[in-house]
Amino acid sequence: MTYLGQVYAIIWKDLLIEVRTRERVASMGAFAVLSGVLFNFAMDWTAVRPQDVGAGLIWMTIVFGGMLGLGRTFMLEASDSAFVGVLMSPAPKDAIFLGKAIANFIFLMLIAVFIVVVFSAFFGLDLGPNPGLVFVVLALGALGFVALGTLFSALASGTGMGETLLPILVFPLLVPMIVFGVSATSRLLAGRPVSEVAGNVRLLGAFAVGAVAAGAALFRFVVEE
Amino acid sequence: MAVAVVADRGAPITRPRLGGETPALEARDVVREFGPTMVAVDGIDLRLQPGEFLTVFGPNGAGKSTLLGLLAGRLRPTRGEISVRGQRLDPGSTEWRSDIGVLSHHGMLYPHLTASENLRFFGRLFGLDALDERVERGLARVDLSDRRDSRVHTLSHGMRQRLAMARALLHDPYVILLDEPYTGLDPHAASVLQSVLMSLRDGQRTVVMVTHNLVQGLQMSTRLAIQVRGRLVWEAARGEVDGRGFESVYHEVVAAR
Repeated sequence: MTYLGQVYAIIWKDLLIEVRTRERVASMGAFAVLSGVLFNFAMDWTAVRPQDVGAGLIWMTIVFGGMLGLGRTFMLEASDSAFVGVLMSPAPKDAIFLGKAIANFIFLMLIAVFIVVVFSAFFGLDLGPNPGLVFVVLALGALGFVALGTLFSALASGTGMGETLLPILVFPLLVPMIVFGVSATSRLLAGRPVSEVAGNVRLLGAFAVGAVAAGAALFRFVVEE
Repeated sequence: MAVAVVADRGAPITRPRLGGETPALEARDVVREFGPTMVAVDGIDLRLQPGEFLTVFGPNGAGKSTLLGLLAGRLRPTRGEISVRGQRLDPGSTEWRSDIGVLSHHGMLYPHLTASENLRFFGRLFGLDALDERVERGLARVDLSDRRDSRVHTLSHGMRQRLAMARALLHDPYVILLDEPYTGLDPHAASVLQSVLMSLRDGQRTVVMVTHNLVQGLQMSTRLAIQVRGRLVWEAARGEVDGRGFESVYHEVVAAR
């Protein structure tokens, strides 16, 4: 119970601070709206169907917007050395990691839903016959993304280069997730049968589980001296 | 007055006493290097029993904060070993962390959480029971009950430092490490902090404080030490030292190194 209580404490703290500062969600949300506006005017919607390009636009906005939020994950912790106090508590480092990753996952899923709503509003993006499965794909991708992003955000914050270093470290590792995610999403938007995306969904799930496990195992080496 | 309030509402110690000769805090030949040329802590040995209050004085750059970081388990020694209540400070283990409380010049508090939210958060990380009661007692102890719902960024420096003290003591640690706790405090905040520190002299807790402030360091200590260039070059029991002459002793020792 203590372990779960410690994970919960980190999630509760991150959510409460975000509700009060709106630093991450505001920057990610503004990026989503801006992307929607730009894509709306950049595309000739009489020549291109939203279903044909929607998957790429959704994932690109999630990845870049998410990077904005993840880059700030440990900047808030640096204030008054609060995170040093967390590290000096008996909370296991993997519990701290899971708490922060779950909080980041909640923020990113909020943004993912917001992006889909914005894109639907701007250029009539239709999620196809399996909208629930589209969100499952987005959730699995977001989980792998925040797991790696949280780990490397901690690493980057320790170097003093923070937000500059994070994309350089994380993007190469995100390639499999982006490939599986875009591929599955584009087929779902095109209304292809579920059996066609099952393989990509499984790979996406395996990537997410691997990323969470690796993050939980490696976090202590990143944050401890 | 603050002293009476603190004495009345101080948290009771419920943990078992140490048996035999097991020291509360022990450091054996501890060395900490930063890179090949910088030796911040150079072969320090310490053996403190429950009830002892050691104040380490020293000039800037003497390695006092590094020593405290090592004793807190925040830094790893390059060489040597540190143990708390007989438990080696192994980074892979978490049990010893509940025995240590740290107050540094950074409050280690979240500015956007309220005073009570901060304490409750850290209490959960320590897995404490009766948390609401502990939080209220902690706030009362540092005379901040009326600011329990104030966000930390709205508090003065002195209030934040008192709240940081409540955070450091929330889990009733045996070993308390204080890094320049009086820095930037107004007289009231200093008085409250001092009364809290006095309440820690209960014969069961061990305190290590590093400070430049000779007067406040002398008031509470049972042992004194001077650290220069990473080494404890002078040590004495408080009873062996004439308080009025300590300043000249300090300057002599520092100048000789």
